[in-house]
Amino acid sequence: MSLNREVINVDCETVFNTLYDAVIVGTGVAGAIVAKELSQQGKRVLILEATVEKDFTLAGFQSYVETFYGAVEKNPNSPYPTNPNVQSPTNYQDYFVEQGPMTLSGSYTRVLGGTTLHWEAKTPRMLREDFKLYKTYGQGLDWPISYDDIEPYYRKAEYELGVCGDVDEQKKLGVEFAPGYVFPMKKLPPSYLDQKVSEKVEGTQVKLYDQDYTIRFSTFPQARNGEPNPDYDHGNGFVPHGVTTVHPVQYGERCQGNANCVPICPVQAKYDARRTLGKAFETGRVHVLYQAVAYKVEHNSENGHVTAIHYKHYKNQNSGEYTIGTARGTLYVLATNAIENARLLLGSELLNTSGMIGRHLMDHPFTLAWALMPEVTGTMRGPLVTSGIGTFRKGKFRRNQSAFAVDIHNDGWGWATGSPKGELEDAVDNKHKYGQELRQTLISRVSRQLLLAFMCELLPEYSNRVTIDPNYKDKLGNYRPVINFNLPDYSRRTLAYTRKVSRVIFERLGAEDFTHYDSRDPAYFVFENEGYVYKGGNHFSGTHIMGTTNKNSVVDTYLRCWDHQNLFLVGAGSMPTIGSSNTTLTIAALSFRVAEEMLRELNSISPNLQPATLPAR
Amino acid sequence: MTTIANDLRLIKTVDNLKNYLIAAMKIEHATIPPYMTALYSIKPGTNLEAFHIIRGVAVEEMLHLTLVANVYNAVGGTFEPNTALLAPDFIPKYPSYLPTGSTDFQVGLGKFSQETVETFRKIERSQHVKEDEPLVASRALEEYLFDIIGYQPNRSFYTIGLFYTEIIRGLFALDKEYQQKGENLFCGDPKRQITPEYYYNGGGDIIPVTDIDSAIRALTVIQEQGEGSTNDRIFDAERELAHDYRFQQILLGQYYVIDKDDPTTKSDQPNQPTGKHFTVDWDSVYPIKENAALSDYPDGSEVRQAALDFQSAYSEFLTKIQYSFDGHPEHLIPAVGGMFRLKEQANTLMRNPIPGTPGVNAAPIFRIDQPSLS
Repeated sequence: MSLNREVINVDCETVFNTLYDAVIVGTGVAGAIVAKELSQQGKRVLILEATVEKDFTLAGFQSYVETFYGAVEKNPNSPYPTNPNVQSPTNYQDYFVEQGPMTLSGSYTRVLGGTTLHWEAKTPRMLREDFKLYKTYGQGLDWPISYDDIEPYYRKAEYELGVCGDVDEQKKLGVEFAPGYVFPMKKLPPSYLDQKVSEKVEGTQVKLYDQDYTIRFSTFPQARNGEPNPDYDHGNGFVPHGVTTVHPVQYGERCQGNANCVPICPVQAKYDARRTLGKAFETGRVHVLYQAVAYKVEHNSENGHVTAIHYKHYKNQNSGEYTIGTARGTLYVLATNAIENARLLLGSELLNTSGMIGRHLMDHPFTLAWALMPEVTGTMRGPLVTSGIGTFRKGKFRRNQSAFAVDIHNDGWGWATGSPKGELEDAVDNKHKYGQELRQTLISRVSRQLLLAFMCELLPEYSNRVTIDPNYKDKLGNYRPVINFNLPDYSRRTLAYTRKVSRVIFERLGAEDFTHYDSRDPAYFVFENEGYVYKGGNHFSGTHIMGTTNKNSVVDTYLRCWDHQNLFLVGAGSMPTIGSSNTTLTIAALSFRVAEEMLRELNSISPNLQPATLPAR
Repeated sequence: MTTIANDLRLIKTVDNLKNYLIAAMKIEHATIPPYMTALYSIKPGTNLEAFHIIRGVAVEEMLHLTLVANVYNAVGGTFEPNTALLAPDFIPKYPSYLPTGSTDFQVGLGKFSQETVETFRKIERSQHVKEDEPLVASRALEEYLFDIIGYQPNRSFYTIGLFYTEIIRGLFALDKEYQQKGENLFCGDPKRQITPEYYYNGGGDIIPVTDIDSAIRALTVIQEQGEGSTNDRIFDAERELAHDYRFQQILLGQYYVIDKDDPTTKSDQPNQPTGKHFTVDWDSVYPIKENAALSDYPDGSEVRQAALDFQSAYSEFLTKIQYSFDGHPEHLIPAVGGMFRLKEQANTLMRNPIPGTPGVNAAPIFRIDQPSLS
């Protein structure tokens, strides 16, 4: 339990009258980490948050849980209130303007804590070869930094997020660790369903470009409270965190397997950025301005320095009325997601020497395959995913087609079919079941469900991009993201290949294959005469990639804008490739690295001046 | 503390000590049924703040029970069948005086109410004693639940904290005695210790006990979390709000504020919280039968069966906890998982009226199933 000082919510006037060390846009994991690192070192930080203040209290969080329980359609944003001024995309055309030829779709959440409020919390590291894909396989782009450069920050990120996992399992998949390293917490145990699947499938050989690959199962590192590992930190162990709210109730239990990690963990076992924000707020050096939507980054045309961030401050989320305000600091950080960052950069008419702002938009497209197991396997027990297949994350096939990782879903067919809603309707409306019989029908139908999800790498394509168009604006008059998106054959080949893999697995299991892809689905495509549907992975990245020069990239290795030296673009937008790793852990690692660089710079500007005591402007 | 004259000590042998520790487990557990009953009587989704405050304290009582078991195992304690957590008198018959022997108030199983929360405050009350005085206060009362081993049965401890102070004194003295003899008081198998990976909540305060230092640390956690505040402060040694004041927040509908950097001068004063207000809806509570007994439920009624089911589940819960303490630490997590079922079963009871007594709902019964006589 921890008692915090009052969060310092400020008004527009205070913001106008204060010169901050850093102005940060966004309270997701990236903004939270930078805010925490800077404020803990004595720097004064302002965070501009687009949404209303609500979510940091126990009652606020509980209202999300209740809303989710009551929602008929359980989608990633169903716990969160709609805010017409600050839309969170959920469907194809509700916020994104999709111009094709394929659809990006997917969702993110614009609330305090950002999309960590709905993320699944898988935290695999990227592989060494993911950082030099072009050099190794002639595909995609190389990062300007290596795995060794980022490795120490992966450790920091794993501490901050509270990762549970098994280092030995990860090593077998090709992930490298410092000697003697263990994750803060032990791995989450494989679910019963995992065990039933791996019993029959482990060791199965499949061919891919004349190479044999052996299917092996392993657990995923995840940022949710499990059993602390006593060997962590050279035997000092790890204390799991709860979410510290402004009220003196710290709440964060061990994972109980509620199976609705996406979108919300009712016992707060899952990490979300509010934990890190809490630490930042405790310093007393962080100001937060809510209901402030950044719309223009202003710069000095002579030296390129950013001079202000302008925002629209709305009083009421149901009214498009707003006032305009200005925030100033020494350094500026855009820490929204890749799509929002790009939209804001483009709308600000900043310099764009490389011409790459908004380009190289990436995501992880998924294919799904679903079947009924021959016996009841306890589906719906456990967190969303505990185990999967990491065999196809690396290998020579990456010359020809993308890497992929496989999840065994503990939550049944929901993602593919909307189950168990359909099963319930069928049992009640069509089969007229009730009472004990209804329960049995549902158990035999739902508890045998197996869903495999194949997460495929998508390379940075120049033409996959976010743009803006004056014809498409939101209620506050801000640009909506206009999306051009296509799936290259490099990824389609893998998406198609995954269907072969799922057929082999289902056959081994004696599971009845129910997979079908609807040709009316906007994400339907045909590859070598067979049709498939992909799902967006919500891992938006790559719209302001890092590189070695201002010609081949938007930011340098410290995510500093080449064209605007006091502007940092933090988040997955800076990642040149994303491999087959969920992006959040790498975002967190990069955020720690950026914060170090910012501290170096702030300390060199005014080494003797305590910024906390800087007079008001 | 080790300078205390020996004749003021109550714990003089390791068997005394073990008996005290078993009594300590009894004390720690004795508050769990009252807390659980109040907690589950709150209608789901209402009184969130109060719910979490009570829940937080109940979780710490579970932690304390575990810490005592660690000390008990460390000094070579064992769990025989039908003893300790499974002894017939392990669970008090509510309403009951606390097993410390204090007799100025009784603790019962009641719904969430102002009166109940007042009682919770009393449980956590703090009282100090000078080092050169024995930790018993004279009283003349036949009604007591805990025999102070080998000592005047007409005396009782005033608070839980004082009871632990006595154990700590005994531990210091016994440890010194053993060392002088060239023996080790802490002869238990370290593998029997419950380690921090078996924490209950966000915090990880479980301390494995292997020597005098860790034993004192473990018992100090209990003392400090239970009462914690000294010199009229609201916070304990860890700068956390003391239990007494946590409960008081519910009565006042307002949070206390503790300044972690400068707790002494910048924190709130007792009885004067300055934190955020919150709403307490005393009516959003199931009207449950106070101190329910099996005889309150008509023969053959569904609530009677549900009450019996709860009783069995609770017995099983304690059985599994004891099993994990008895050298099977890896079984603690699944055992605690049993609390989900208890909550479900308690709610089933509380949602339903007792046949024949309109307006009074059923409530769980906390007894240990007795093996049927055959």
